[in-house]
Amino acid sequence: MNLRRKKEKRSKGGLTIAKRRFVLGITIPLLLYESLGIFVIGWAFVLMFYKYSSGRLGGPILGLGGTNPFVGIDNFIEMFSGKSVEANLFRVSLKNTLIFALAVLPLNLMITLPLAYLLESIGERFKAFYRTIYFLPVLTSSVGVALIWLSMYDPQAGWINAIIRLFGGTPVSWLSDPRAGFAGVSVAMWAVILAYLWQDYGYNMVIFIAALQCVPQELKDTAMIDGANRWQTFTKITVPLIRPTMLFVCVMTMLSSFQVFDIIQVMTNGDPGNQTQVLMLDIYKNAFRYQQLGWAAAESFILFLLVMGVTIFQMRLLRTEWEY
Amino acid sequence: MKKILFVLVMASMLLAACGGSGQVSSNEKVTLRFWTHTNNAFNAGYDALITAYQTEHPNVTITRESFEYDLYLQTLQTAMPAGEEADIIQLFGTWTSQYFERLAPVPAEVMSVEKAKELFYAAPVGGFIVNGALYGFPQEFNCEYGGVLVNKTMFLAAGVTYPPQWKTMDDVVADGRKLVQKDASGMMSVAGFHFTSADPIAFSFLAGIKQRGGDYWNTDHTGFTFNTPQAKAQLEWMVNAVQSGIIDPMIFNDATNPVIDAFFTNKAAIGYIGAWAIAEGKTNFPDFTDEWDYIYLPPIQGKPVFVADSGWGLTVSPNSKNQNVAWDFIKFATTDPKNALSWNLASGTIPAMPEVAKSAEIAAQEPWVAKALDILPDGEYLGNMPDRDLVMYEIIYPRILEAMQGVSSVNDALATIDTEANSTFK
Repeated sequence: MNLRRKKEKRSKGGLTIAKRRFVLGITIPLLLYESLGIFVIGWAFVLMFYKYSSGRLGGPILGLGGTNPFVGIDNFIEMFSGKSVEANLFRVSLKNTLIFALAVLPLNLMITLPLAYLLESIGERFKAFYRTIYFLPVLTSSVGVALIWLSMYDPQAGWINAIIRLFGGTPVSWLSDPRAGFAGVSVAMWAVILAYLWQDYGYNMVIFIAALQCVPQELKDTAMIDGANRWQTFTKITVPLIRPTMLFVCVMTMLSSFQVFDIIQVMTNGDPGNQTQVLMLDIYKNAFRYQQLGWAAAESFILFLLVMGVTIFQMRLLRTEWEY
Repeated sequence: MKKILFVLVMASMLLAACGGSGQVSSNEKVTLRFWTHTNNAFNAGYDALITAYQTEHPNVTITRESFEYDLYLQTLQTAMPAGEEADIIQLFGTWTSQYFERLAPVPAEVMSVEKAKELFYAAPVGGFIVNGALYGFPQEFNCEYGGVLVNKTMFLAAGVTYPPQWKTMDDVVADGRKLVQKDASGMMSVAGFHFTSADPIAFSFLAGIKQRGGDYWNTDHTGFTFNTPQAKAQLEWMVNAVQSGIIDPMIFNDATNPVIDAFFTNKAAIGYIGAWAIAEGKTNFPDFTDEWDYIYLPPIQGKPVFVADSGWGLTVSPNSKNQNVAWDFIKFATTDPKNALSWNLASGTIPAMPEVAKSAEIAAQEPWVAKALDILPDGEYLGNMPDRDLVMYEIIYPRILEAMQGVSSVNDALATIDTEANSTFK
């Protein structure tokens, strides 16, 4: 009896030790990994209170102080009320980022949701084919996409202007004319938004397809029997049921729109006249071209607050009490 | 007692051997890391110099690593604070004022500031001198002012006198108007005189201010003076030149059709650009078959005074354990006229040393340098700006381009440039 208990105890002890080892084996690397991330975020948080440049030696502790002086919240005050070129560029970039994100989100939804609905309604034989075709741009590198659109927008040799010429129209300098605009937004910004939408819409479309497939057919059939037409079924049955998915799509699209960088850097680098300069591009230029890491860190913090605020707002607006 | 003495002698020898001054005997193996940005012509020149130096110093191995331009900047900015940079660093001279705290000053026994000023043109060496100390040696005269690529084939096809007989800048504009071509829709397909990229705009603007008797620096170089009668006269001239129809700044600017691309793809008959474009154009546009040349423009008025960046040169990391060997290589590469010449010929750049610029080899292989010999002594260093790239590319260029594009007035552009440029001092 005692022997059996001892054996059980030993085996339990062995299991506990193994569990502990496993937990330690997982936790320690995870903590190390997380501490790296926390250090980076912490470093950025510290930097935003300094006028810090990597080119200067600064003080003895991590280069802070000395020629990299502590400026408190001066960076933030300058951003919103200063007249320096950095402050002007920040405000322009912030405005452009908001324009970009607020234009991309509704346009994206207007394209992806109907397209997903259409794809769901076609025959099984063609579904996979169309899904692949529409998803291909998502798999293409942003730089590649930017270069393709850049060549299409070329004022002299691009095929968009070639078509305009063919019909006797006046060619447009799509990416370099600061005077051209539509609905209060520069043509260059619209051109970039179009390229971005083209690359990005396949992702949301696939998510919507998955959501639409989960909407029970019986509910739609019942609505039809009750006399609802297809539009009413779509707006009164389908859309409310996929609201959690819409929330996810809205949040993700907003997040990626606020962080747009590569496609704009390649296509315009912020031109013409800073009309396509967005926050991420401004942060990049300040950090790596002008070595103003303190300023860039402060801008990053503003971007973080902006993204967090918009995300919370969207979650409150679109949240549901239930989940299907 | 003898034992103690022996221990002391041995200890002092050991300490001397471990000393961090980087003194090495001729037989001690030394490996140096050398960082450059990716430019095939430049790096071919560096590799030849490395081979020559290693032949003379078999104990020294120099390993060169190159980075794409943007990546190079990022690498310097992250490696320097970490003390991980290479022993020898290729640096654009004008950047020295931003990096000098992280660079080793040139030891007095290697060269004094006075000697360097005698050896090199004022503009190239100027950037490597910060607060009276020398931080490296220049290799090229980075002259973005006054040089233009001219397409002989287009001149002849348009019936314009070739070679150009320009006495004034108005003559250049007159020829530019004759060389413009437009397509059926009225869009400009060939610019007569393309000068609306960032460097030509900035450097012709600054040179124009100087040539008109003004200056963009205040007396003690603690601020800019861009809102002056001379600056206004120069900007008005530039805007008028654009409005005369020699170029459409909507289609021809840094974002769309920069000068080098436009010229070597037959979209510009006259292209305002530094001589560096010659080697790069030959390499990158092998299909370009038109006859062309590189010549210099007349001044806007008076003497051809101009300002120039301090071009690419070599510096040493203060963290290098072999600083003396690094300086020895740099001195070998940049101050020996024979070696400096070989690098300038390989890279197609204007020499930083007058002695090299005036050599028969340069005259034979870089004839555009011979044409520039008269103006090079008039070149002044741009000056140590708090942030040169910010002032040149985010303030002067876009504001002037906006004035040329008709988005803002000359007065507004100058006022904005003055305010924004002075804000960089804060």
